Amino acid sequence: MVGRPLDENDLIRRAQRGDKHAYEELVYAYQGIAFRTAYLLAGDGADAEEAAQDGFVKAWRALGRFRDGAPFRPWLLQIVANEARNRRRSAGRRAHLATRAATEHASGDAAPSPEVALLSAEQREALLAAVNELPEDQRTVITLRYFLGLSEQEVAETLALPTGTVKSRTSRALERLRESYD
Amino acid sequence: MTELERVLVALGRELDFPPAPDLVPSVRERLERRRFAFAPSRRVLALAVALVVVAFGIALAVPQARSAILDFFHIGAATVERVDTLPPAQERPLAAGLGPLLPRREAEIRAQLAIRLPDFDGPAPRRFYAQPGLIATLLHYRGKPVLLAELRDDQVGIAKKFAGPGTTVEPVQLGDFALWIEGGEHVIRWFFGVGEERRIDTTRFAGNVLIWLDGSTTFRLEGDLNKNQMLELARDITR
Repeated sequence: MVGRPLDENDLIRRAQRGDKHAYEELVYAYQGIAFRTAYLLAGDGADAEEAAQDGFVKAWRALGRFRDGAPFRPWLLQIVANEARNRRRSAGRRAHLATRAATEHASGDAAPSPEVALLSAEQREALLAAVNELPEDQRTVITLRYFLGLSEQEVAETLALPTGTVKSRTSRALERLRESYD
Repeated sequence: MTELERVLVALGRELDFPPAPDLVPSVRERLERRRFAFAPSRRVLALAVALVVVAFGIALAVPQARSAILDFFHIGAATVERVDTLPPAQERPLAAGLGPLLPRREAEIRAQLAIRLPDFDGPAPRRFYAQPGLIATLLHYRGKPVLLAELRDDQVGIAKKFAGPGTTVEPVQLGDFALWIEGGEHVIRWFFGVGEERRIDTTRFAGNVLIWLDGSTTFRLEGDLNKNQMLELARDITR
């Protein structure tokens, strides 16, 4: 499975014809981003794993409806995101994110990236706390856009929202976060 | 991108995500399970069950039809056959012929099958029987021992059931298809192995039995319970 060139469109077409090995390659390629998306939305590792797994199984069943040539990643993530949000609603939980440094070593042993290193540990935690405090719709957009690195268009497709809504939510969220950052 | 946005991107790299699990095996297992699943729509399933009920009605009413329809009935890994004369059989314990008791993990590896257990208040089973394609355990339900066996229909480990003339064989609503077998004298035979190595391990008299197919797995419960009690337990296993 590793080391072979991955032609996504070819894998998708083979999977649509019922080739499970081709689909396994897609699962392998996207399991990381699917799990992290689910984690950001469900707020729990076990729920995220279940949501990602269920998402892949549902996506397999829905492959016949996948439009040839369309981007696969946001299509898949939309299914996973739905699963994750359903679990979060059932659990009545709100996702709470933490940095590795805060979780592992309050002393800050972990080496942060150069941009983050410019911030003090307190500033980092304050900014993340501000993200955690955002209204759910804004927080989701911010985490998918910046923490997972999805494009604006991908965020819109993943959350089944118009791009304009994603833009306005992002803008409002950044405005709030700027208060914590500045 | 503004400075704040760059900081957010960098902060994302510092997040404490749990390690991503390898989802390929679990997704593969679930897709495989579905490959063998008989998954008709509810409407088709209801029609199929209705037709089977009608067939059984005819079988009970007309002796010739009965012998024609009930000569050989197949559910997943199990077959039910009505015969005039029962094969020689003995009164044996429920788990006779299923091999030594094993811890759950060891049994699941030997069976290549993860057992599904009911969620009920009785003591949880700790020891299991296993053959390739078959895993079983004794449950204690409503104070009575009940043998739960789960079989993969794409592997060996075939249960064959004979029903004498006094036995009721009735389709019931459970899983993809189910049969309730009660009364009279009926025997069970376990078959293990494939090809020339295939062997009949045990032939013994059986108690009340519920057999059902759920996906690619055939489930079998046997014990001194009535139909409603057995269905209640079964629905706790494959809910």
